[in-house]
Amino acid sequence: MIRAIRPLAVCLCLALFLSAAVSADEISDRAKKLHFSSIVLDTHADTTQRFLTGKFDISKRNPDGHIDIPRMREGGLNAQFFSIWMPGAVTGAPAVQKSLDQIDAVKRMVHRNTKDMMLATSAADVREAHKQHKIAVLMGMEGGHMIANDLAVLRMYGELGVRYMTLTHFYNNDWGDSSTDKPAHNGLTDFGKDVVREMNRAGIVVDISHVSDKTFADALEISKAPLIASHSSSRSLDNHPRNMTDEMIKALAAKGGVIQINYERSYLSQEYNDAYKAVAGDVSRMEEKFKKECGDDMECELKAESQFTAKLLAEGKLPHVSWEKIIDHIDHVAKLVGADHVGLGSDFDGADMPEGMEDCSKLPRITEALLRKGYSEKDIRNILGENILRVMEQVERVSRELRAQP
Amino acid sequence: MFRQISLAMACLSAGAIVVAAVTGTALSERARALHFSSVVVDTHDDTTQRFIDGNNFDLGPRSADGSIDIPRMRQGNLGAIFFSIWIPSKITGATAVNRALEQINAVRDQVRKHPDDLLLATTAAQVREAHRQGKIAALMGVEGGHMIHSDIAVLRQFASLGVRYMTLTHSGNVDWADSSTDAAMHNGLTAFGKDVVREMNRLGVIVDISHVSDKTFYDALAVSKAPLIASHSSCRAICDAPRNMTDQMIKDLTAKGGVIQINYHVAFLSQEFRDAEKKHPEINDQIAAEVKKRCGDNEACQLMEGDRLTREYVDAGKLPRVSYEKIIEHIDHAVKLVGADVGLGSDFDGANMPYGMEDASKLPMITKALLKKGYSEADIRKILGENTLRLMAEVERVSQQMNSP
Repeated sequence: MIRAIRPLAVCLCLALFLSAAVSADEISDRAKKLHFSSIVLDTHADTTQRFLTGKFDISKRNPDGHIDIPRMREGGLNAQFFSIWMPGAVTGAPAVQKSLDQIDAVKRMVHRNTKDMMLATSAADVREAHKQHKIAVLMGMEGGHMIANDLAVLRMYGELGVRYMTLTHFYNNDWGDSSTDKPAHNGLTDFGKDVVREMNRAGIVVDISHVSDKTFADALEISKAPLIASHSSSRSLDNHPRNMTDEMIKALAAKGGVIQINYERSYLSQEYNDAYKAVAGDVSRMEEKFKKECGDDMECELKAESQFTAKLLAEGKLPHVSWEKIIDHIDHVAKLVGADHVGLGSDFDGADMPEGMEDCSKLPRITEALLRKGYSEKDIRNILGENILRVMEQVERVSRELRAQP
Repeated sequence: MFRQISLAMACLSAGAIVVAAVTGTALSERARALHFSSVVVDTHDDTTQRFIDGNNFDLGPRSADGSIDIPRMRQGNLGAIFFSIWIPSKITGATAVNRALEQINAVRDQVRKHPDDLLLATTAAQVREAHRQGKIAALMGVEGGHMIHSDIAVLRQFASLGVRYMTLTHSGNVDWADSSTDAAMHNGLTAFGKDVVREMNRLGVIVDISHVSDKTFYDALAVSKAPLIASHSSCRAICDAPRNMTDQMIKDLTAKGGVIQINYHVAFLSQEFRDAEKKHPEINDQIAAEVKKRCGDNEACQLMEGDRLTREYVDAGKLPRVSYEKIIEHIDHAVKLVGADVGLGSDFDGANMPYGMEDASKLPMITKALLKKGYSEADIRKILGENTLRLMAEVERVSQQMNSP
């Protein structure tokens, strides 16, 4: 979650500008055929915050935001992890209750749209949804603070269908260090390691986006199942603590894991990242700035942040970032560790999208660009979704093995 | 552990003589055949507190204390048990939600640990399936609406996790409903309380009216589209406790397909016991103080020590001795009133058990006593479990109906 929801005016103006630059017509028949026959699985979207407002209707095309069913259909996005998220400042039992509220909000959204959507908690469920031409809806929990230091709560989230948990968000929690906070635990505490073990047993994918490099190393060592970075990009292309170094990506991939590229402009472009830091400070601290005006309304906060960057962009204080940066990051990882270890973790509805990737309807561009780069169809399918399905299957297998032990 | 010692002593002294003299402990072939072929369902049991008190209680081995473990459930052919998710009414807010999740996890953990003996059941069909497989069905009921923290989304997640009834209140009022043991403040159910009942109907979570005020009961009865249950309440006509139901309430409950599940707690069974308690309030004060001293905040310890200490006062002649036959009296009273729409809601591990019903192994005595009273085998099977299964199936049907477009 970074921020979202570009004002309509900016949306229209950019869309016009870009449709000239990279029109939908440029998607070749081959790319279309490939893209629309693939399982396209995005591991991170923050649309859940919009569900909570009670005013958002995902079934119809919305003038704002990045995700709704018509645009998912248009972009061939047929499997989506919706994030269960609240700021790290919400802890203890209130975080547990709010998490249940968000899980409920996702499930009710599915319930209202059973013609188009299906709740999925396994790789097989995702494939079944695809077979039925439905969008698979999955849940990931973004931040270990939401378990209130309680493994029982973690297990119940697993039972309720949560299939990954990001160990931290922007702040350290009581048992794990975040990449955007001062180290307090030297990675994972003993309890933090127990959390990882329990996630393995419960079949919840360990997500190391947001965590400190040491937390990542600790989790990688402890986990019996492959890890994912649900929404992180490459640090060698853009030196941001939220991104992964080449060494980390290699270590992640060596254990079967996958890095899912985040489309946030600050994580894609060094130039943008530098400019942003110069004018606004650290991106991870921006949520504090908008907290005052929005209180607990996360959708309001995301909008405020988005308007803030839109204004800076308009004033020329931030550079334009093209969607092609996403391809650069994918390509960098593929060259480093192969196409079996990279995928898509947009951060739709939670971050500032690059130009040309204004919403999920633009996803076929990724397939087109990768084909032009000479990627095989098989590699492209893997990047679009098969890699993460492979990790899910492995996590499920490890869970079955661990559960069978006394 | 203390309780078993006192039990053994009681058996050696008066207890064994009383039980042997009055009823005989031997089961007839007919009683045995009937009891052990029936699905015996108990809708209220507080053993969950033992799962979470930090002493690593496990249902597997025979336990020297308490009333419930797998060997004794097998011995008494208890085929399906609702484990209570319970925290005191004074614990509210998100903390109550968090702690309820811990207890749900604890129940599910026991089922995971004993796959050959236990099966998590959420429907009547699953209870029957467990019975077919020779397993004990474990079910969950939330005892007190305070645990949803006035949040319907939380109620829905409890249901997703397998909770199949919710008692609208415990001993204290909640923000949306009055309890039978608190000063009335909402005149029954508030508008939100009625929404809770409607959502429970939709989810297939049985509305449990044990513990609630008479007005809350009537409000729930009016709103609910599915039959209600009193998961652990007895008859007020025999023992005038606010936790028990009047004859009129029992009639109105069963007229809408509901079932009253008799609670074995001595102070709900016996007017004599209740009068003695009222006459000597210092006894309960002493017991409460001693329990607090021994157990602190450990709820499981409190519940079991309370039972043990009560028996010490009985043995000392300071409180009357209540026999398990009082359970039969309550069953018989309800049956005479409304027919065999009655069942078993022991409150094992959460109340003071009468003599002769110390634990689940003693349950066949109920079948034996009902046969002796001339009950038909069909009626006895209903009382032992079929009534609850019928009610569950009906609640499921209403839920499906409400969810179909």
